[in-house]
This record gives sequence, C-alpha cells and structure tokens, in this order.
Amino acid sequence: MSLVQISGLKKYFDAVHAVDGVDLAIEEGEFLVILGPSGCGKTTLMRMIAGLEKPSAGQISIGGADVTPLPPRKRGVSMVFQSYALYPHMNVFNNIAFPLRAQRREKKFDKRAIREKVENTARLLEIDMLLDRRPRQLSGGQRQRVAIARAMVTQPALLLLDEPLSNLDAKLRANARDELKDFQRSSNITAVFVTHDQIEAMGLGDRIVVMSEGKIQQIGTPQQIYDDPANEFVATFLGSPSMNILAGEGCNFGFRPEHFLPKTLNDNPENARIFHYFVKRVEYLGSDRLVYGYVQGHDSQLTLAKVPSNVRVSLDVESDYEFAVHNSDLKFFDQRSGARIAPQQLAEAL
Amino acid sequence: MASLALPAFPLDNRRVVGILFLAPALLYILLLVGFPFLLAIAFGFSDVTVGNTDLNFVGLRNFEAVWENDIFRQVFETTIRFTLVSQVFILLFANILAIIFTQNFTGKWFARFIFILPWATPVSLAMIGWLWMLDTKYSPIDYLLLQTGFLGPGGLLSKDRNLFWLASPDLAQISVIFVQVWRMTPLATVILMAGLSSIPTDILDQAEVDGSRFMRTLLQIKLPLILPIMVIALLFSMITMFGDMTVVYVLTRGGPVDYTRVLGLYSFQVGIEGGNLAQGAAISLFAFPLLLAMAIFMLRTASRAEVR
Repeated sequence: MSLVQISGLKKYFDAVHAVDGVDLAIEEGEFLVILGPSGCGKTTLMRMIAGLEKPSAGQISIGGADVTPLPPRKRGVSMVFQSYALYPHMNVFNNIAFPLRAQRREKKFDKRAIREKVENTARLLEIDMLLDRRPRQLSGGQRQRVAIARAMVTQPALLLLDEPLSNLDAKLRANARDELKDFQRSSNITAVFVTHDQIEAMGLGDRIVVMSEGKIQQIGTPQQIYDDPANEFVATFLGSPSMNILAGEGCNFGFRPEHFLPKTLNDNPENARIFHYFVKRVEYLGSDRLVYGYVQGHDSQLTLAKVPSNVRVSLDVESDYEFAVHNSDLKFFDQRSGARIAPQQLAEAL
Repeated sequence: MASLALPAFPLDNRRVVGILFLAPALLYILLLVGFPFLLAIAFGFSDVTVGNTDLNFVGLRNFEAVWENDIFRQVFETTIRFTLVSQVFILLFANILAIIFTQNFTGKWFARFIFILPWATPVSLAMIGWLWMLDTKYSPIDYLLLQTGFLGPGGLLSKDRNLFWLASPDLAQISVIFVQVWRMTPLATVILMAGLSSIPTDILDQAEVDGSRFMRTLLQIKLPLILPIMVIALLFSMITMFGDMTVVYVLTRGGPVDYTRVLGLYSFQVGIEGGNLAQGAAISLFAFPLLLAMAIFMLRTASRAEVR
C-alpha cells in the first residue's frame, strides 16, 4: 500500500480554487517531485500534506491512518522551507534539537538521546563542526544542510521540501541537487519535493507530478512526462525551448525543436513528415544552433529548431529548407481541451 | 557646443529636495527640542527667576542645592520607583494583549480599537475621567464595592464607605501607577504587535511542523525574536513616564504630602509655580544623564539581541 493516499483534495481561498480535486498516491521510499508554474497550487498541496493548511474537501492518509483533521505534529512529517526557516536566535545544535525537544514528551527522548541524535544527524550531513554557529554565520549551502538535518532528526515518515534549492546560486545548486538525491537514496526516506524548475524536477524525481491551475495534469517518470506528455500544457511546460505547437485540420500537432531537423539528416524519410521551413534567424549556442523560422502554411507561428552544432549543414537566413520530424515525435492535441489524441485517429489530420 | 538643457528647475536638484525634506524635522528638533534643552542648561547654571530674568553664571550652585534637598531626593526616588514598577506591568500586559490581538478571532478589529483608546485620548482629558473615577466621595468604584458589601459597615476592605483612592498614601501611589499602566500599555502593545507580525510566517510554520505547541513557540521562538523590539517599547514608555507630570498634576498635585510627587511635577512646581526658574531647570536636568545612560544601555542591548 502507498505511504500517502490523497483523494479528492480541494482547497479554496474564497473564490480562488488553489487546489481543485487532487488524487495522488505516494509510494514508500520514492522521490516525488511536484512541478508546476507559480500559482498552480503545488505549495498549497504540500502545506495540506504537512497539516499547515486545512483542506476545503478531501482526505489525506499517511501510513494507512486518516490524518486530515490532525495537526502537523501528529502526522510524522517534517518540512524544509524555501527560506530554510532556521531559528535565527538559536545555534545550529539547538535548531536541530528543536523538533526533538518539542516532541520529547510524546517520544520520550532524554537529554542524552537528544544530543546523540543531533550529533549523528549533523555528522551525516557533514555539519558537525558547525554546531555552535548561529544561522547568520553560515553559507547558503550550510543553511540548507542544517534545515535538512533538522527535518531528518526525528526520522519522519515523510520529508516535504518546498523549493529548497532556489536560494542557492547556480553552481551550488547542481551540487546540492546531487547530494540531496544521494542522501534520499541512502536514507531511503520518502520525499516530496515542490519546484517550478523543470531541470530540478527531471534530475531529482523518481516520478513527477505536473500541476496547473490546481489540478494534476500528469503523473509519470521524467521520461514519460517528457516523451509522452498527456496534454498540451505538459508538452509545452517541459523542455527548453518548449515544444512547437501548430494548428492542423481539426487538431493541434506539436514537435520538440530538437526533433525538427533538416531532411537530409533523416535516414528514414518514409516515416517522417516533411515541412517547408523558412529560416529567419540562427543563434549559435555552442553545443547547438537554435533556428527561428516559419513552417509553410503556418506563417504566423514562430517555429524553432534545435540543430546540434556537430551537424555540418549550412543554414542561411532568409532561405527555404526542407525539415523533417519523425512520425513518432509528432504529438497531437485536441484543439479545445488540449488533451493528447492518438495519432492513428487522425491520419488525415494534417 | 550650446547647451540644450532646459533652465534648471530648483526641485530637480537633489540637494535642494533633500534639504526641503529634512527641513520640517530639523526645524522641529531645533525649535522644540534643542532650544529648550539648551535654555534649560543655561538656566541651570544661572540665578534666573521669574522676577529677575538676568542670566548670571553661578556654577554648580543650583545642582548642589537641589541634591542636598531632602524633598528632591524623595521625589527622585519616587520617580524611579513609579517608573520601574509600572514598566513591569506595562510589559506584562502589553505582551499578553499583543499575543491576543495577533490571533484570529471575531470582533478583533473592535477589541483593538477599544484597547487603543487610552493612548489616543488626550492625557488631561483622560485624567479628568480618572479624577472622577477615583473621587474621594463619589468614586463609582467605591460605589460598586459598597453595593457588593466590600465597603461600608461590616465590609471586608474597610468599615468606611470610601477607600480614599487619592488621599491615602498607599492607595494614591497605587492609583497613579495603575493609571500610568492604563495609559502606556496600548502604545507598548502596538509596538509589540508590530514586532510579532514581523516574525516570518515560515519560522512559525516550521515550529508548528517541528511539533512545537503554543507555549513553546511563544517562549522559545516569538519572545526571543521580538526581544529587540520589546526593549524599544520599554525605552519609549520609560522615558515618557520618567518625564511625565500631567498624570500626577491632575490627579494628586503630588499629594498626599509628597507621596506621588515626581520629578517633572516637582520641577514645574519649583520653577514655574514657585518662580525659581534656575532651580526648576536644575531639577529637570538631573533626569538627563540617567535617561541618556538608560537609552544607550537599552539600545545596545537591543542591537546585540538583534539576530538577523
């Protein structure tokens, strides 16, 4: 059985439907990423799992027990906030010890047990030499570790992380991502990670939940989400630059810029769709050339192609070319709902 | 090359605008704080009186005379005692009220409004109200106590029909302190409320997820975090109260005997009512080094406790 079961969860702030009917099962030991643009309800969803927000409707159970009416401290969850929310007036030791002391009556920790647990957790996160410092004396990366140590010290069933990497600079972030993933694997804790950054989501998640407008758009592995998007929103939200969407007869069709290549490169032209492509501008990005242009018959829709730099095809601006997309890389979407449509249904759509 | 710039508009000049913006505050400080302060120092070292306004330098004579005066010593001690005792209650009540008013409950807006009133009412007006509340004969408090059997023949508090709030030495002092607490608590509450609502919600949410309950969050998170602001609130009300004379002037005129005579009032009585401007100034100047030292000490404490 799943560790966390969420069913029919809703949260309304007056007229705003922040979370609008979410069903989700979180498996034990997995790293689940909730991905979505800001305002999609991902943070509200996480706050409801933590118990900081009361759902307007629906149910949350953790470890088989209904926790919907319970306060945070009775749920066995811990949380790392985007700001890390370290207690600024306490040193690192006291920050990490705080949840143990707060729960000492329920869990019967004595002083020595608390010291031992804090020191062990600090050692695990390699911050044991910082225990006497105050948060303001720490670097961003160290603060993040302290926040994770404080969240882990009670050995929670579920670790909630609210964009904990977004306060780090780009260099540190890649490193911290790696460490976080390692740490989650080795401690085998169930983690829910909220982010708006698709690279973080793709890199960290065993599974990704894509949310928009309070609803789950798709749940799947990073590869499923990217290669097999459930609808137009997911298709365009992931990938940079995002998927080209063009209007066809009765439906929209889309293809990713990296799949849109000069026809001469295509070794199997029978299984590919050919487009007449007018190149407007070319950006050289080092590893790739980013091509801006127009597909014949879709003159109002700027269409992008991402051609690897090691492909030695000359692409001149203000010139016509033949580009091709492999049939399996073409995705079709309903024009009204944006939902994905199977290609065989619309052989005639183009 | 001919300059194409338009003739300079004076308000486009940063210096001019800066001076204009500073002017009201500077003027206020110079005219209403700086000038009287310097005048008081000049008076304190002179022999000026209401009858003879020539300023003759007399050195420390006034200060020596004041310091050797037994009444002054008692007044000084009373002022310090009143200030300290009332601060304890002000801080206690302000903390409790600030915590209540930062919770969510229906009618909060109205309750806040009511509790701010003592501070928003002009002091003298409010004191006239208290003068009546504490009246020797017609005090409504006494009336209530009389009706409930605490006063009058066989009463628990007194066989008398009145407690003589402002006429008995102990009760007069208690009354003055009580009224000061009543008057100063709202400002301290407002300052503490601002402090409490400036605590990041992340920190409070974190404490909740960490399993902390109300009292632990209050004692270990909220109060330590607003400590610097609490010191500021304390400083404000201490300085206001140390120099205040309105409350005792209206309620007791310093009586009975000298029991409620405080520094501000004594200085006024000697300097203005008694006409000895020089000694009045010297009396009030005794408060200055004490308040200055207190302010420096407290501001340093506040900045040391400042953690972010």
